[in-house]
Amino acid sequence: MTKWLYCALLMVASIFGAPAVSTTSAFAADKTIKIGALFPISGPGSYFGTQDKQGVELALEQLNKAGVNGYKFEVKYEDSACSPLPATQATKRLIEQFKPDVAIGEECSDATLAIMPIMARAKIPLLNAGSSSIKITEPGNPWTFRIMPNEVMQGIDIANNAYKRLNARTAVILHENTNAGIGNAKVFADTFTKDGGKILADIGFGRDVNDFTSIATRVAGLGQIDVIPTYTLEGQGLKITQALAQAGVVKGGGGHAIQLGTIWLPFGFEQKAGKAALGYIRIVQFDPTDQREVVRKFVDAFKAKYNQSPTHLNAHAYDQIMLIADVVKRGGKDAQSIRDGLAATKNFVGVTGSVEFDKHNQNVKMDTVHYMETKPDLSWTALKWN
Amino acid sequence: MLTVVLQQGINGIVVGSLYVLVALGLTLIYGVLVQINFAHADIVTVGAFVAYFVTHWLSGNYFAGIAAALAVGAVFGWLMNAAIFAPLRDRGNELLPLIATIGVSIMLQNAMLVLLGPIPYAFNTPYSNEVIRLGGTFLTVQNALIIIVSTITIVLLYAFMKFTFLGKALRAVSQDRETAGLMGINPNYVIMLTFVIASALAGMGGAMLGPVLVLTPFAGTSVIVKAFAIVIIGGFGNVEGTIIAGLIVGLIESYTTQFLDPGWIDIVVFALLLLTLAVRPTGLVAERREENV
Amino acid sequence: MSIVTSRRFWLVVAAIVIGLLPAIFTDSYWRTNLIVCAINVLLAIGLDFVLGYAGQLNLGQSAFYGIGAYASTLLITQVGVPFWVAFVAGVLLAGVAGVFLSVFAVRLRGHYLAIASLGFAVITYQVLLNWISLTQGPLGIYGIAPPPPFAIPGLPPIEFSNLASLFYLTAGFAFLVYLLLDQLVRSPVGETLTAIREDEVSAASLGVNGQKWKVFAFAVSSAVAGAGGCFYASFVGTLVPDAFFITESFSILAMVIVGGMGTLIGPVLGAILLTVLPELLRGIGDLRLIVYGVSVTLVVLFMPGGLVQAARLVAARVRRPAKVGRDP
Repeated sequence: MTKWLYCALLMVASIFGAPAVSTTSAFAADKTIKIGALFPISGPGSYFGTQDKQGVELALEQLNKAGVNGYKFEVKYEDSACSPLPATQATKRLIEQFKPDVAIGEECSDATLAIMPIMARAKIPLLNAGSSSIKITEPGNPWTFRIMPNEVMQGIDIANNAYKRLNARTAVILHENTNAGIGNAKVFADTFTKDGGKILADIGFGRDVNDFTSIATRVAGLGQIDVIPTYTLEGQGLKITQALAQAGVVKGGGGHAIQLGTIWLPFGFEQKAGKAALGYIRIVQFDPTDQREVVRKFVDAFKAKYNQSPTHLNAHAYDQIMLIADVVKRGGKDAQSIRDGLAATKNFVGVTGSVEFDKHNQNVKMDTVHYMETKPDLSWTALKWN
Repeated sequence: MLTVVLQQGINGIVVGSLYVLVALGLTLIYGVLVQINFAHADIVTVGAFVAYFVTHWLSGNYFAGIAAALAVGAVFGWLMNAAIFAPLRDRGNELLPLIATIGVSIMLQNAMLVLLGPIPYAFNTPYSNEVIRLGGTFLTVQNALIIIVSTITIVLLYAFMKFTFLGKALRAVSQDRETAGLMGINPNYVIMLTFVIASALAGMGGAMLGPVLVLTPFAGTSVIVKAFAIVIIGGFGNVEGTIIAGLIVGLIESYTTQFLDPGWIDIVVFALLLLTLAVRPTGLVAERREENV
Repeated sequence: MSIVTSRRFWLVVAAIVIGLLPAIFTDSYWRTNLIVCAINVLLAIGLDFVLGYAGQLNLGQSAFYGIGAYASTLLITQVGVPFWVAFVAGVLLAGVAGVFLSVFAVRLRGHYLAIASLGFAVITYQVLLNWISLTQGPLGIYGIAPPPPFAIPGLPPIEFSNLASLFYLTAGFAFLVYLLLDQLVRSPVGETLTAIREDEVSAASLGVNGQKWKVFAFAVSSAVAGAGGCFYASFVGTLVPDAFFITESFSILAMVIVGGMGTLIGPVLGAILLTVLPELLRGIGDLRLIVYGVSVTLVVLFMPGGLVQAARLVAARVRRPAKVGRDP
């Protein structure tokens, strides 16, 4: 009898104890720009959320020392869980309870697409960096902006480069069975085929596939392969690269094929994958070895704060906040003026590259795309293809 | 083509051995208790992380990592039994422990997420990148190790069940708890022992899986659904059946990848499961009821 | 029977509460949660009918949920069928799928059926995921419209893009299903099902055709889940297969168990609690799901009869103060 009473008490306590822990508002008196952050914080998608958070926190720390035009910045995180229904709930909660002037997020395309109409109805701008689906900006809506090159921009570029610069004629595509994976694979296949290349196989797999030896074995049996564009996240990416090397397919395992990747993999991937990564050519959106001053400052500050090197996800989140600060500097002060300010952005210089939006609010700058090749000592060489 | 078929056979056996290690624990628990432990998957994950950290602290001593994972798994098994299954045993509702272990599973996953973060760990043992090549086929030393360790474990488990008093007691309780109790076997003790053994197997399975799968707090969940399928295809509570079914599922996985597409793996495995249930509900391998000990 | 204990009284109270809820919760966040509650109530009472009354351990509810959602949505977007026709078709199709699964239920018992239904759910999920030409797979379906406006002559049309009306629609439907199931379980049908649950052999000796009634229970249960799916699609506006992964089956099962299996009101309470709890816990950030997991475990350990049992104990205490030291 007392047991369940005790248990009920515990639950009630945990519910009512909750708000006390969560208050983050620090600048009630100052003029504040409220930024809502919709990140996956629970589940496997928290891979993105935790890294995004680090970048956001660093940007806030720097901006709030002096403020911008008399404004300080306040961020509220909500767990959108990388999935449409939780993302809907998180967005509504954010809009109702926090009333943000601008929001950033999600990472997963499905969740971003579910959030967009809600933000548009609430007339709050949404700044996205991590979702690559073309549907986000085609046709898009006036309230959603994306600073990352979409799947079409990346896919066409990398396929053309594979055909023209690497003289690749055969390709095997490996991709995770997700919105982004399938979308990227399709753009590559279409472009590469149009150029005159041949797709030998297009192998999709779920995020629950663990052993890639079987897939590598199948790839090894497909004959002469020039390039293997691979669209997966870090975890499966490591396993694929190692399995392809063990099967003797890629250069890292004494084979002929070159693995190609897009901006999904973080800095430091090579070190984790070891010599299997030799010869891997991939697009990075953020190059921590970049000598531009803005990048050097960011990298140093990040290392000082977190004692580790920043990834592209850290950098994207940092750029999102810095872009909002830039808009505030240009006169943005509420949802409408921040939206208009974002749309009018010209030559914003961030750590991942510069930003200028087209009429669908897609960033058109291709200097966000850097090609890197992995050297035998696992360092990078910039290929200067763009 | 022949080498490819052979190679995929090897790949399938490696994956199958891993599944067997995970599924055996589920089968043992089911056999003795007629209960499903959903948190078994998370004990696998815990084992994988324990092995990772111990291996790194001892600068590459993977075998110490395996031993530590086994021990920690055993402790978790004891805890699971004491905290969840023992109090619920005589409530008469087979669903209660299932739901309780789902709660435990959610808790463990998210506790690990808070402690360890979501970024995948690169668990490279000294054997991960050593490759044995033989006539067009290849096998990493790590994968060879997986087959060897699984085989030794299975043999030891078999010997334990067959030749020791405790093993016989365990089988007795799984066949008829009341009669076993009348014959002086303490079923509570045997059930506790079953949990410890099953979870130690899960912990060790985690240590073997750690270097193979994507090591995050969610690693175990990717294996557990297939482990359930294996337990059923093999016949609930049937150890031999589980071993054979585990290897079959491993082979299905590699051959489906080769000849169909990885997206079909679960469809083929679970179609086989439904077919087994429709045609032979007691499992592919006939159950041999032995006389009570 | 006093008025407070009569069923009709409580049903009226429930109807009034449903009517008042959107007036109490006026912001769109809590109205969204109300709709999620209503959908989860549908799923939970549907599962309870087959699980709590007919005693069939079904873990395939996520599949019927998904079939209802995808079938209705595809009929609307691909074939151009009106919403309510698609709704009926989605419900029927989910029911037919339930009949298919009941073929196994006729042969299997207990955990075997549990895993068979789990297998069915895995296969359904994988088909939704891999049959891209039909379902769009992981690419998802977006911009699904809410149910069409409902026109009553002389009154302004009811727009279901309005969250309050959509709540009345889903909650009203859930209430109707509740009434229907309530009537069913109190009728001879309910007694028959309970007889099968308790002892199939003796039920058969009394001339009960157990197989027929099992099929019936499965069909009803999965049709109700299918209806939940239809509402889900038109409410969220986005469909991806991940929403119908097997973990959804376990969430629904947890609602039934936490609420109190074998009663109809229990799953309703369980669905509401387990929908609202994670939302209330959002404030504690990273610890949210840890607390959620611990809560579910504790409820099962200390309130094995669920919330309903707890409520009964409280009621008994209120009426007749318990003696000291009667703790179990």
